[in-house]
Amino acid sequence: MEGVPIRNARRGDIPSLLLLWTAMMRETAARDPRLALHPRAAEVMAAHLAAWIQDPQRLVVVAEEGGRLVVGFAIGALVPGDGWREPRRMGQITDAYVVAPRRRQGIARRLVGRLLDLLYEKGVDSVRVAVAAQSPEAHAFWASMGWTDLECVLDQAAPPA
Amino acid sequence: MTGNQASVRAARRQDLPGLVHLRVHYLGETAHLEPRLPIAADARARTEQILPVWLGQEERVLLVAEGPAPEGVPAPLVGYATGVLDVRPPLLLHQRVGEVLECYVEPPWRGRGVGARLLDVLGEALRGRGAEVVRAAVPVRNEVALERFRRRGFRPLQWIMDRRLDAV
Ligand SMILES: CC(C)(COP(=O)(O)OP(=O)(O)OC[C@H]1O[C@@H](n2cnc3c(N)ncnc32)[C@H](O)[C@@H]1OP(=O)(O)O)[C@@H](O)C(=O)NCCC(=O)NCCS
Repeated sequence: MEGVPIRNARRGDIPSLLLLWTAMMRETAARDPRLALHPRAAEVMAAHLAAWIQDPQRLVVVAEEGGRLVVGFAIGALVPGDGWREPRRMGQITDAYVVAPRRRQGIARRLVGRLLDLLYEKGVDSVRVAVAAQSPEAHAFWASMGWTDLECVLDQAAPPA
Repeated sequence: MTGNQASVRAARRQDLPGLVHLRVHYLGETAHLEPRLPIAADARARTEQILPVWLGQEERVLLVAEGPAPEGVPAPLVGYATGVLDVRPPLLLHQRVGEVLECYVEPPWRGRGVGARLLDVLGEALRGRGAEVVRAAVPVRNEVALERFRRRGFRPLQWIMDRRLDAV
């Protein structure tokens, strides 16, 4: 089935990526204030994106509609396993987002599929992702793509009384 | 130390041999519960190398729990915990995160509050170094540990999900 084309991100995509990234983070924080954005987040993320687009250890892909409108993106990274318990070369997917009106059309599936192909080419044998506990839809998405729960990250805001 | 209770304190150089045993037990137990977190064949040798480094790290807290012992006899180590203060770039509001990395109590000493004490002291030490929040990643198959963290006021924040590429 033909869908919205997926391609590697370019420098010119940074403004669109930043808008989408901020929308993704706001959507997450609206469900869980523990994941609220820092006031300097957009500025810091803009610098990260500019660096990541050129970094061979990072993979940034976008879904582009009509040759000009970015409607989704996904970011992956190669991380050295700790050599103890984790695979020697591990992949991580740090972000995946599709604008609300384009969801459930298989766009995220294809974005993530592209990242997996690229990570596999780089010799990775395991790929991890951190999913907000308050986002059951995101959990359902990753589960549908073959991911399973490994760890639960818990946090404690204040010491026990 | 009171009666037959364990007590928690900062680790010292002379604890290193006992700590190596505890850590190898911890890694082995985790691997048994979760095959996706296997123990490396050289885990003991590498733990012997890494523990002295941990002891000297400014950002790390390393605690031991000691069992009771008669006068003049060295107290046995029955558990340990370690964590670090991780200072992250300003993307999320909380930049100074205290990470609980490992917390382990020898099986005969479980159910007596030793783990809770280790966690509380570790959390206090990390907050004392400026942590705004304390976090821990617990294998989902370790339901007992998950329940213990919940009881200490920890709440699920994220799931770490994993997919093996060689399995497809
Ligand atoms: C999660 C997200 C990226 C999915 O994007 P998408 O393009 O809608 O996903 P797809 O259409 O490729 O979905 C693939 C499969 O995932 C599952 N899935 C996706 N969204 C789901 C939902 N809301 N509820 C249940 N299952 C869902 C389904 O099995 C779906 O296949 P189907 O439509 O044939 O049933 C998107 O909902 C999103 O951007 N959410 C907000 C940001 C976020 O939480 N990102 C994840 C951060 S780690």
